[in-house]
Amino acid sequence: MKEIILFGILVSTYFMVIAKRMPALIRSFGYQSFFLFLATFAIAWGEDQPELYIICGLLFIIKVSLIPYLLYRITNKIKAGQDLGLIINSQLSLFCALGFTYLAWIFSARLFSSLNQSLVSMPAVAFFMVLTGLFLMVSRITALAQVVGLLVMENGLFLLASTVSGGMPFFVEIAIFFDVFVSVVIMGFFVYRINKLFTHIDVGKLSNLKG
Amino acid sequence: MPIFFILGIPFALALSALLIKNRKVLGLLNCLGYLAVLSFSVVLLKQIVLSAGTRSYPGFIYLDTLSVFFILVTSIVALAVALYSIGYLEKDIEEGRISERKARIYYLLFNLFCCSMLVVPAVNNLGILWVAIEMTTLISAFLVGFYNTKKSVEAAWKYIIICSVGIIFALLGTILFSYAFSISGLSKSLNWSDIAPVAHILDKDILKIAFIFILVGYGTKAGLAPMHTWLPDAHSQAPAPISALLSGVLLKMAIYAILRFGIITIKGVGFAYFSNLMILLGVVSLVISSGFILVQKDLKRLLAYSSIEHIGIIAIGFGLGTPLAVAGAALHVFNHAVAKSLMFFGAGNIVRVYKKHNLNAIRGVIKALPFTGIAVLIGVFVLTGFPPFSLFVSEMMIIISAFTNGAYLTGALLLLFLAVVFGGFIYHFGKMLFGNLPKGMVRVDEPLSTKIAFIFLFFPICALGIALLFVNKDLLWVAQRLLPR
Repeated sequence: MKEIILFGILVSTYFMVIAKRMPALIRSFGYQSFFLFLATFAIAWGEDQPELYIICGLLFIIKVSLIPYLLYRITNKIKAGQDLGLIINSQLSLFCALGFTYLAWIFSARLFSSLNQSLVSMPAVAFFMVLTGLFLMVSRITALAQVVGLLVMENGLFLLASTVSGGMPFFVEIAIFFDVFVSVVIMGFFVYRINKLFTHIDVGKLSNLKG
Repeated sequence: MPIFFILGIPFALALSALLIKNRKVLGLLNCLGYLAVLSFSVVLLKQIVLSAGTRSYPGFIYLDTLSVFFILVTSIVALAVALYSIGYLEKDIEEGRISERKARIYYLLFNLFCCSMLVVPAVNNLGILWVAIEMTTLISAFLVGFYNTKKSVEAAWKYIIICSVGIIFALLGTILFSYAFSISGLSKSLNWSDIAPVAHILDKDILKIAFIFILVGYGTKAGLAPMHTWLPDAHSQAPAPISALLSGVLLKMAIYAILRFGIITIKGVGFAYFSNLMILLGVVSLVISSGFILVQKDLKRLLAYSSIEHIGIIAIGFGLGTPLAVAGAALHVFNHAVAKSLMFFGAGNIVRVYKKHNLNAIRGVIKALPFTGIAVLIGVFVLTGFPPFSLFVSEMMIIISAFTNGAYLTGALLLLFLAVVFGGFIYHFGKMLFGNLPKGMVRVDEPLSTKIAFIFLFFPICALGIALLFVNKDLLWVAQRLLPR
């Protein structure tokens, strides 16, 4: 069961890498968060911790529903931002993502050598998500795509935290959720401002400040 | 108990910015509030240092010498900024750059920013520490983009994105620290007071990797090269009082976070690992920033690069790790916070009168703004480490301990690049302060609150420099409590 969920996360991340337009990227992000929710739910079910169910609920409300909704809204309002502006085309991006998968596997197998083989796959997927998020941020030039990349990295960390250290303490987890939500709202606000002042959200063209 | 006032007053002031309509009352209230915060933090410092212990309250708060020291630095700069802001906002409104309503938003954000920065050194839980530091980024991004011009929004965007990515790595590091703790067979916790005493039994390899992530993550926020790219943009575009806070305090909060994890790493994997990494990043920051200082054309960016330089010196000081070096580095944190605030205030006044940032276009500041001009002139000597000011003492302490510990290369590089930076500063500021006034410029007088802010900042710089000559021994005694070896 766990493997299927992890596979779902992996595939939805590949979808994000090959997405060329904003709605597709957001939709895949929604899928990814949903699989993350399923993974957490499976852990909560297995360990029977009431706190984890609350975190599951928050995950569903914030990351599966609210954040994709907000991102859709912003994309619709600023019509300029539909196209992602790929610096690296989607085929090449997919190859990169495959490379990341391998690297993440090697890294986590070395790092978590004390865990048994079947458990290593979870941190491996988590590191893969962090790497891919970073890759998305660097290789897409619109501001919104960078926000999504950041969220992917954050999702990866959430998976890592819930697997390797048995989750963060409860209130820390809540605080981090709050924080992520606030940061998306604030970044959305700045995307609006950039769009208003520059009439585009192409980050590559933000080059007034140098030296 | 004072800690609750220290955290509560800024928060109450933030609320008051929502309620009170009169800007002048608000400004005065802020000054009084931060004066109270400063006095409470002095009381707290006295309590903790004299009892030579730590104090943890059930729940979140944990205080020791290190954290109280950073609280003190924050509250000094915050008071100076509160003083300076009155005159600064007044002028901004006169010139029509911002509206009355926006001035109130400024006070709201400023207080929330200070509140989040005071929370950082006071918390026990390393996860909450992360959240507090991320909060400082989110709040100050609005302050960086305060004027809503193309340049400032660009700077704010770069700031928020680069720091958020950086800080994600710090969270990754934090998770790995908590993993190392959880596999050691102890109960699950992220509290520093739980992890630090048992650091020696944690898994060495995981600690090493975790500390790298922490260093990259919080190092981004601290402005250590090569992760410093957001810093010159944000510092140059923010309003001058906010630049002072960013440079004087915010960078130090990230250094504080690095030290907290650093202490665990030192206990876990030994001192050399921590030391090498810190010195490496410190030297790189010093080299990169000194180059940019020499060729700089923008006044506020010049000061921003100088912040990177000083953060590098602080990193080297903590990296050397002898009591003398640690005392020097801690003192440098304080000195740099004070001196750099002074310089940013001065730069704010100059930019307001000349209406430009370009170093080549600003001439004859001493004639146009006598008070600011002289303050900046002294500030330049303070900042470049001229005796008898206290920055000279702290830099000397670091350099001496580098040579007495056999870190000859580090010491030599430090001396070389300090000389380069000195040359750059004297060249740029000499041209700027002296020389003939541009046509059409007349002498301008600064607002009273600005002058008070300058004099308030001068006091610690000058008094401390002289006082330090007598209390060196006590200082080492305190420093031994800061970083365990």
